[in-house]
Amino acid sequence: MNYTINKRNSLYKVSIGIIVLLIGFGNFSCKKIDNLQSNRLATETTNWKTLEDAKANLLSIYGLMRSASVSDNGHWLMGDLRQGDFQITNRADLKAIVNGQLNASYPVINRITNWRRFYAAINAASLYIERSGEILKLDPRYTELNNRVDIAQARMIRAFAYFYMSRIWGDVPLVTSSHDGDFVQLSRTSQDKVLAFATNELLAAGQVVPFRYGGTDPILPGLYHSNSWTGWNGILFTRLSCYAMLAHIAAWQGNYLDAANYAKFVLENQATQNKDGSFGLAYLDMASLTENSSNSPFAFKRATLIVGFPFEAGNGLLTANGHLEQLTLASPFIPKTQPEMFVPKDTINKVFTDPFDLRFGIDPVTRSYRTNYFYNYQSEQPIFNKVKAIYTGQTASNVALFSSSMVFSRLEEISLLRAEALAVLGDREGAITALNQATNLRGVTYLSSSKVPVIDAIFAERRRELMGEGWRWYDIIRYNKIKNSNNIFANKNGVAMTFKQFEAAGGIYWPVSQDVINANPSITQNPYWN
Amino acid sequence: MIRINACALCTVLLSVLCSSKVAAKVYQDTLHQDSVKLKQIDKNIAKKISSIPKLKGTRDTVNIKLAALSPNLSLQQIVKGNLAGVFVQEPNGEPGTEQSMIVQGASGLLFNKKDIYALQPAVYLNGVPLVQDNPFAFDVQKYDYNRIGPATNLLAQIDIDNIESISVIKDPYELAKLGPNAANGAIYITTKNAKGGLTDISLNSYFGFVTAPKVNTVNGVYENNFRKPFYAKYASAENYAGYASYLKDSTNTAYYGPSNWNDLYYQNTPTYSVNLGITGGGDRANFRFFGSGTKNAGNADHTSLNRYNLFFGINMLPFKWLTVSSAINTARLDRFRNNSLRDRFAEQRYIPDLSNPLSPNAAIYQGFLNETKKNVDNNRSTILNGNLTLAAKINKLTITSSLLFDYNEGIRDYFTPSTLLDGVSYISNYFGYSQRILLNNNAAYKYEINEDHTVDFELGQSFQGDTYKYNYARAYNGPNDFVKLNKVQGDVLKDDYLNTLAASGFYVFRYIDKERNNLMSFYGSAKYSYKKILTVNAILRRDGTSNGQPDSRWVTTPAFNADWDIKEQLLKNNETFNSLHLSGGWGRVLRIFLDDRFAAGPQYRSESGWYEEPTIPGYGSALGINRPYESGFIGYGIKVPTSDRTNLTLNASFFKNRLSAAVTAYNRNDNNQIIGLPVPFELGYSANYKSGMNINNKGLELVVNGLVTDQSKSLSWTTGINFSYNQNKLKALPGGVTELILNDNKLEVGKSAGSFWLYTNQGIYNTNAEIPEGLTFNGIPIQAGDPKWVDYNGDNRIDNKDKVMTGDRLPKYVGGWNNTLSYKNFDLNFNVIFALGQKAINQYEANRYGFVNAETGNSINSVKEISSWQIFDNGKNYPIYNPFSPVDAYRVDQDLFLEDASYAKLRSVTLGYDFGKAKFFKKSGSNLRRAYLYVTAMNLFTISKFSGLDPELINYNGYYDGANLTIPRTFVLGFKLDL
Repeated sequence: MNYTINKRNSLYKVSIGIIVLLIGFGNFSCKKIDNLQSNRLATETTNWKTLEDAKANLLSIYGLMRSASVSDNGHWLMGDLRQGDFQITNRADLKAIVNGQLNASYPVINRITNWRRFYAAINAASLYIERSGEILKLDPRYTELNNRVDIAQARMIRAFAYFYMSRIWGDVPLVTSSHDGDFVQLSRTSQDKVLAFATNELLAAGQVVPFRYGGTDPILPGLYHSNSWTGWNGILFTRLSCYAMLAHIAAWQGNYLDAANYAKFVLENQATQNKDGSFGLAYLDMASLTENSSNSPFAFKRATLIVGFPFEAGNGLLTANGHLEQLTLASPFIPKTQPEMFVPKDTINKVFTDPFDLRFGIDPVTRSYRTNYFYNYQSEQPIFNKVKAIYTGQTASNVALFSSSMVFSRLEEISLLRAEALAVLGDREGAITALNQATNLRGVTYLSSSKVPVIDAIFAERRRELMGEGWRWYDIIRYNKIKNSNNIFANKNGVAMTFKQFEAAGGIYWPVSQDVINANPSITQNPYWN
Repeated sequence: MIRINACALCTVLLSVLCSSKVAAKVYQDTLHQDSVKLKQIDKNIAKKISSIPKLKGTRDTVNIKLAALSPNLSLQQIVKGNLAGVFVQEPNGEPGTEQSMIVQGASGLLFNKKDIYALQPAVYLNGVPLVQDNPFAFDVQKYDYNRIGPATNLLAQIDIDNIESISVIKDPYELAKLGPNAANGAIYITTKNAKGGLTDISLNSYFGFVTAPKVNTVNGVYENNFRKPFYAKYASAENYAGYASYLKDSTNTAYYGPSNWNDLYYQNTPTYSVNLGITGGGDRANFRFFGSGTKNAGNADHTSLNRYNLFFGINMLPFKWLTVSSAINTARLDRFRNNSLRDRFAEQRYIPDLSNPLSPNAAIYQGFLNETKKNVDNNRSTILNGNLTLAAKINKLTITSSLLFDYNEGIRDYFTPSTLLDGVSYISNYFGYSQRILLNNNAAYKYEINEDHTVDFELGQSFQGDTYKYNYARAYNGPNDFVKLNKVQGDVLKDDYLNTLAASGFYVFRYIDKERNNLMSFYGSAKYSYKKILTVNAILRRDGTSNGQPDSRWVTTPAFNADWDIKEQLLKNNETFNSLHLSGGWGRVLRIFLDDRFAAGPQYRSESGWYEEPTIPGYGSALGINRPYESGFIGYGIKVPTSDRTNLTLNASFFKNRLSAAVTAYNRNDNNQIIGLPVPFELGYSANYKSGMNINNKGLELVVNGLVTDQSKSLSWTTGINFSYNQNKLKALPGGVTELILNDNKLEVGKSAGSFWLYTNQGIYNTNAEIPEGLTFNGIPIQAGDPKWVDYNGDNRIDNKDKVMTGDRLPKYVGGWNNTLSYKNFDLNFNVIFALGQKAINQYEANRYGFVNAETGNSINSVKEISSWQIFDNGKNYPIYNPFSPVDAYRVDQDLFLEDASYAKLRSVTLGYDFGKAKFFKKSGSNLRRAYLYVTAMNLFTISKFSGLDPELINYNGYYDGANLTIPRTFVLGFKLDL
C-alpha cells in the first residue's frame, strides 16, 4: 500500500510538473506577435543605415539596368533584327521583328515592348539619389565623397536608361523622382527634353565620378566599397563611361560637334584605366574579340567594357536568356541543332568585302575561310560565333548557360563614333585616322584614296565590327539621317516611304506594349503603330 | 532549434507514456469498484481530445466504413464526392502529388498554382491543425508545375483504417471557435483512439493492381498527315524549309516505325497495403497502437508512393479530477516520381534543344528509360504530429491545457546524368521543413440556472508558432555521371572554401528562405440551452497575427449560432417527423496572410531578374537589394482580411428515421483581401498591393440519406446523395476599381473570380474578301486563314476590349451518390461522383494545332512527352487556320479551346462478404467480430463531353495541358479482420 501511495505522489508531481511546463511554454506575452520581424527582406527601418546598405542598393541599380537591357534578349532583338543582317531560322516572333511587324502578337514582343523594366532601374536610381544621404549621419564609415560618387553613378545609370529608352520609343515619360508609393500617371515627354535631362545629368556626374574605383585615382583614392580597381573595373560606370554615353546622346541628336569632343575625351583618357593592376583599356586583338582572350569584354569583366554590364560566371550569374549566344549559337559550340538566327551567306559576302579581313576572310596559310565570325560559311546556315562566352567563359561547352557581358561601348566603338562625328563635321583626315585606329587589328585599312565616301566606310565598318552587339538598327537611323536621301526606305501597308517620311511618321520607334497603355491611359501609342 | 523542440516534445511524451504503464497496473489492482463511474469519465476524455462539439446528423461526415473499402491514398481522395460543399481537384493521377480541396467556393483567385494554397481548408488531425507546405518557395521558381522539394501531398499521411471520423466544418460558430486557421473551412479528422475494455485487434489488408489503359498510339505518319493540310493551304517555300526536322525523313524508323511505347510507359502495377490496430488497456489507462504500410502505385511512368504510418494514443486518469491523453502520429512518405520531360526541364530550368522529340518506338524509348535508371530521385517526407492534453475537472470547472505540434520535413535529392540533358549532368538538393507548435489553454464552467436553463462558459487562450524553411541548390555539369554528389571544400581557411566548382566541378545556384508566422488568440464563449428546445452559442475572440502590419495585427471578431428543435417544441407527437431542427449562425474570423511580406510595408528585396531568369542573385560580387519592382509595391495601410459566413440549415428525419434530409444555405464573404493592382509602369512597379478585394460565395447544399428497402432476411438498400451548388462572385476591388487585368486574366466586379477572359471565335476568314476593310488584330492586319474573332466594340480592331468574361474554372454543382445493397452477408456498394458546370481551356489541343509556334519557341510549352504519341476517342477537330500567321491563330485565349469539363464518374464499386456473420463461421466457435472479404474496383468509367483524356486532369488554373498522368482504374481484393 505504501508503494502505491508513493507512486501516487510521484505521479502527482509529474502531473503538476507537466502543467507547469505547459504554462511555461504558453507565454502569454503579445511580443511574439507585435515584435516578430521578417528576416527575408529589408524594411524602411532596416535599410539605408550602413555603408553596406549603400553598396547593396547601388549595385542593384546596375543589376536592374542590366536586366532591363538584356531581358528576353531585348538588346539584340531591338538592335540587330530590324533591317539587320540576321535571318531567322524558325521562330515566328523573331521573323515578325525582322519583317517590321513590331506589334505582332507574341509573348516575347509583348514583353520587350513593355518599358517597365527600364523604369524599375530609373526608380531605384531616383530612390538612391533621394535616400542614400541618410546613411551619412548613421554610419561614420560612409563619407560625403563616397556618397557623392555613389549618387553620381545612380545619375549615370538613370541617364543611360533614358537614352536607351528614347532610342527605342522616342518620347518617353520623364520621371525624375521616386514618387515613393505615389503612383502618378504621367504622359510622354518629348525626346528632346528627355535627352537634355540625360545630358545634364551625365555632365554633372562626369564632374564627380573617378576614372578608377578602389585604386590610386586622386579623385577617389583608396578602396571603394571594400574592393580594389581589379574588382571594380568593367563593373561600374567610370568617368569614361560617362563621356561615352554623352557622345552617343549627342550623336543621336545629330549634335556631332559635342559627340566628337566627348568621344575625344574618352580616347584621350584611355591610359587612365591602365593602372592599379587591371587588364586595362585597349583595342581588342582578334583573340580578345572572338576567342575570349584575356582582354575580352564579352567573356570577362574588364576595363575594355567602357559601357556595359557583365555577367560573371564566378559570381553565380550564368543565365540562358539575356545573351546573344542563345540566339546565334548551335552545334558544335553548344548542343543545339540549329541556331535561332544566322547571317546568310549573301549578307556575309556583301558586308565583308576585304579578303584580308581577320574577322571574315581567307586565311592565306590554310587557304580556308576564317571562322572568327562565321563558322561553317559554306553551309546554308553559317553560325555567327563572334560572341561565345559559354559556361565559365569557354568557347564551346555542353552547358548552354552563358556568361557574356552586355557590351554597349568599347574602344573600337567609340573610335568609330568619333570617326563618324568628324566625318559629318567635315574633318575627313581626322575621321580616317579614327577609323583606321579602330580597324588597326582587323587587317583592313581605309586608304584616303578610296572612292568609297568615308562616312559610308565608317558605317560599313560599324556593321562589321559591331555585328551582334545591338547597334545595327540605330546605326541605320543615324546613317540615314546623315544621308538624308530620298530613296525608298520602308513600306507600310503597301505605301512606300522615304526615310524622312518614315521618321516623321514615327516608324523608327517601337510600339509600346498594350499593357503599358492599359496601366496608364495617359500614354499614347506611337502613331505609326496605331 | 526545431530538432531540439521536437526532441523536447518526445521526451515529455515519453515520460508520460512510461509513467502510464505503472499507473495502469496500480489502478487495475485497487480501483475496480469505480469502474462504472470511470467509464463515464473515459468518454469525457475522448470528447475533450476532439475538443469541438460533436456535429449532428450525417450531413457533414464521410461514411468511413464505406470509404475504408477503397484503396485511396490521400485525404482528398477519401472525401472526393463524399462531403457536401467540398470540391476536390485531383489533376494528376501520379501517386502522392498535390491535390486541392475547396470548401464552399473559392475565397480567392485561381490563376496560379500558388493561389491554390491560399484556398485550402485547415485539416485537423485529432485537434492538430496540420501545417501545409508554404508556397513561398515559388518565389525562386521559374515554372510552377511542381513546388521544389518532394512536393508530396502531406495529406496522404493518414491511413483510412485508423480513422474514426472525417467531417467538414462549415458552421460559422464552429469555425470561429477553431480560429483563423480555418478561414477556408475545416476538415476534422478523428482517429480511432485509445479506449478501455477488451483488447481489440484489427488487421486489414488489400492487394490489387492499377491497370494500364488501352491507348491508340500513333507515329510520325499520323503527325505528318495532321500537318499536311496546314502546309498545303498556307505554307510558303520558307515555311516548308522550316518543316519539323524529325518528320522530314519518312524512312526514319525512329518516328515512322512502329509506335509501341505504351507497353513501357503504362503498366499494370501492384498496389497494396496492410495495417494492424490494437486497442486495449484498463478503464483508467488505455492505449491504441496502429501501424501500416502502403504501396500506392500509378499506372504510368513507373510512379508510386510508399507510406509507412505509425500511431500511438494513450489516455490516463491519474486522479478522478485529472485526465491526460496523448496521441502521436508519424508517417514517412517516399515518392517515386515520373520521368516526364516537362517536370524535369522545369526543375532543371534548362530547356535543351527540343527539335527531336522522344521516339514512339519501344526499342528507342527503352534506351531513354535505361538512361533514366542512372537518375537519383529520392523524395522523402517525414511527418510527426501529435498532442498532449491535460484536463482537470474541479466541480463544475474544467481546465484543459493542450500542446499540439506538427512537424514535417521534406528532402529531395535529384540527379540526372549528362546523357539526358545534352551532355550536362544535373543535381539538385532540397531540404525543407514546416513546423507548427500550438498551445491551447481553456477553462469551461457549467452554470445551471435552473432545470430548464443552462449556460456553459468557456475562456481560452492559444499561441501558435509556425516556421517554414528550405535550403535548395541546383547544380550543373558535374565531372562525370558517376559523381552524383555535390562536394565542397569544408575548410574555412582554404581558398576554395565552399567552392563547388573547384571541389567537384558542379556549377551551383543556391537558395535559402525562412519565414515565421505567429498567431495568438484569446476567446470567450458561452452556450445557453433552454430545455432541449433551444441552444444558442456565442463567441468573441481576439487574434493577433504577426503577418499583419503592425497597426492591424490584432482583430476582434464575434460569432454565434442557434439551434431550434422544432420537433421537441411543436411536433412532439408527430409520427412522420422523427426530428426537425432549424439552425443558423453568423461568424467572422480573421484570415492570415501566407506570406510575411505584407507585414513589412515598403520593403527591399533581392529582385533583379526578369521573366525568363527570375532569380538573378546580384550584381558584381554583391547581393543587391531593391524595391520589389517585379513582385509589386507593398505600402502601409494593409489590413488583415476577414472571412464572414452566414449559414442556415434545416434538417429532418422522417419515417422512423428511414429518411433523413438536410438543406443548408450559406453566404460567405471574404472581405478586404489583398491584391496587386496594376499601376502606371513608369514608376517601375508591376503592381501595388492594396486591401479591398471582396469575394462572395453563395450556395445551397442538400444531403439525403435513405433506407429504401429493409428486409432483414433478404435485400436492403441504403442510398445517400449529396448535392451542392455554389455561385462565386467578385464583390469589390480595392479603391472602387471595377475591373482589373492580371496578365491573361481579368477580374470584373459582379462576375465570378474564376472566369476565363477570352476572344470569341466565330470561324475562319477563308478569303480576303470576307474580311472587313482594315480589320486588325492588335494592329496586325487580319488575313485570309485567320480566325474570325468578334469585334464587340466595333472599332475594327480586335484587342483586349473584345475579350469577354466567359466560363468558370470551378464547377457550379458538385456531389456524390452512395449506395449500399446488402443481401444476407453480402453487400454491394457503389459510389458515383460528379462535378458540373466548370469549363476548361484545352491547351493541349491549342499546342497541337499551333505546332508552328510551339515548336519554334523551344520553350517549356514545346516539350512533347512520350504520351503525346496517342490520339483520344473523343478528340475534337478545329478549323485549319494559318499556323504561320502573326496573329497566333491557335492562341489559348479564345473560346475555340474552351470546353465543358463537367463529368460524372463511377468512382468505386465494392462487393463484400462478412464471414464473421456466416453461420459456419460462428459454429466453429470463432469470436471474430468481423471477417470481411471484399473486392473493389475504382474509376470504372466517366461520362463527360470533355475532349481530353479525363476532365479531372485539368490543372488548377483551368488549363488542360495533357502532361499529367492518368488516374488509373484499380482493382483490389482485401479483407478486414476485427478480433
